[in-house]
Amino acid sequence: MGKVRSTISLLVGGIQCSLGVLASVFAYLVYADPWMRGLLAVTSEELYISMFLLLVFGIFSVFSGLLLVHKER
Amino acid sequence: MAEEHLKRELGLLQATMMGIGGAISAGVFVTLGYAASLAGTALLIAMILCGVINLFTMLSYAELGAAIPSAGGEYTFAKVSFGGFISFVTGWFEWISNMFYAAFCAVGFAYMVSYTIQAAGLPLTASVPIIAAVTVAVFAIINVKGIRETGGTQTLMVVVLLGILSVFTIWGLITGQRTGPLQISAAGDFLGLLRASAFIFVVYLGGEAIAVAQAEIKDPCTNIPRAILLTCLALIAIYTSIAFVVFRIVPPGDLAGKESPLAYVAEQFMGPLGAGVVTVAGSIAALSSVNTAIMAQSRVAYALARDGYFPRVFYRIHKDFGTPCLAIAAGAILIAATAATGVVNFVAYAADFGFMVGFICVNLSLIRLRMRKPNLRRPFRVPLYPLPPVLGIVTSALLMLFIEPGTLLIGIELFILGLIVYCIRMVRYYRICLAAGGMNFGVSAFSALLALIIALDPVAVPMPHPMALVSLGAAVFVSVAYFIAGLLNITEEKGRAN
Repeated sequence: MGKVRSTISLLVGGIQCSLGVLASVFAYLVYADPWMRGLLAVTSEELYISMFLLLVFGIFSVFSGLLLVHKER
Repeated sequence: MAEEHLKRELGLLQATMMGIGGAISAGVFVTLGYAASLAGTALLIAMILCGVINLFTMLSYAELGAAIPSAGGEYTFAKVSFGGFISFVTGWFEWISNMFYAAFCAVGFAYMVSYTIQAAGLPLTASVPIIAAVTVAVFAIINVKGIRETGGTQTLMVVVLLGILSVFTIWGLITGQRTGPLQISAAGDFLGLLRASAFIFVVYLGGEAIAVAQAEIKDPCTNIPRAILLTCLALIAIYTSIAFVVFRIVPPGDLAGKESPLAYVAEQFMGPLGAGVVTVAGSIAALSSVNTAIMAQSRVAYALARDGYFPRVFYRIHKDFGTPCLAIAAGAILIAATAATGVVNFVAYAADFGFMVGFICVNLSLIRLRMRKPNLRRPFRVPLYPLPPVLGIVTSALLMLFIEPGTLLIGIELFILGLIVYCIRMVRYYRICLAAGGMNFGVSAFSALLALIIALDPVAVPMPHPMALVSLGAAVFVSVAYFIAGLLNITEEKGRAN
């Protein structure tokens, strides 16, 4: 049971970290790439709030993922 | 006391140069054009107004710096006055804003080098991120070598910079005499003047580096207040005389849209060589700010590590150089990484916000300390107390209202990041796991709701069919993953719990 829990924790932690990094990179792309903004139909008024939400999600995900990984090591 | 390890090697001259060099970044070389379009020739009044606002807070720095001459500047003041979370937030914003300020100046310098190479038609390709990262690395090495080397480099750069600006001003005054008296007129209304003040205030930021380095200043009770006040007065004189010369040579409307308004003005009366020399001055200004900001961030990190908020390794002093080498190195890596992204606006806003928060905290610390410790030995006392600190708080808060709305969001992000760091260091591990578990359930529920909306009401989320399917899949995946993460966070394994 302990080993299964440990494996799931490492897996979910890894997924959360990856999603967090992806969200942060995405936030940067939304800021820096007009093509990406056009694709997602993000207007200049919505730019900062989109970045804000993505970054908060990204930071939290990395933090939570690291917590899970750290707990199992 | 830990600061015994840091060597007191900066005299009055070096401390003052640290303040002037920290404040005169490339900002004044590029911001004049837009500020002039907001305020017209009344920008002269805005310059003096900003200088006086800066002076209100700098008086607080002078009193606190002379009374508590330990490393850490604003953080140390807040720690003695308030302690706990408020002092951590102050230190956090001070550390972050100095790092972003260093990154901003390094990117500014890299753009100037790139522009010069292109203008000169040299057969070289200049990569802005690489130049910025190398610049940070060079100044990090100088900082590691010792505070004397840092101070010496700073003094040399600022003396050259002031020399160039003096030539520009005197030459401009002589040339401008032919144009008759200067008429002061605002381009917009009073609001325009306020907007210009909020925009141009950034040129006064950075002088508080003196307070951060106060553990390394000789005879701190005398030299800290003197260096801070000399810096304030010198900045008002420099900026006002530059603006005066600019408007004597060209009308404010001519500066709009110019990449480097100061170089443009220099070209009008000094020729192409003048434009080149002013561009070199801009580069030196940017470099001196990088130097100061790297030093400042490391001393704040050192002080935060001393009190257990940051990893203990940042508190380590190099036995030969007497500098917090690991704090410098770690900060330099983060600065170089930030500078390499080239996201100029973000770092500028983040630095602005951090400095404004720092200003408010320092004034609050002064008021609190006067109430809590009235008998504390104060070699320098703020005149007309409590007027200057109260005005400092009010004007800093007002300026925050006029800066870009995006700045506030960035500030909130940085605050959340700081809160996480504080929780990790100060709150018990089990409570953090519970909080993270709860937040995971929240994200999971939100994603499930999103998935439900996409599945049941496609009209509410207008997107092409394949993208809607991908979004639905992603929302379900996130919902499940975060639900499991929440469960894992709030439950403890039996054997381990026992």
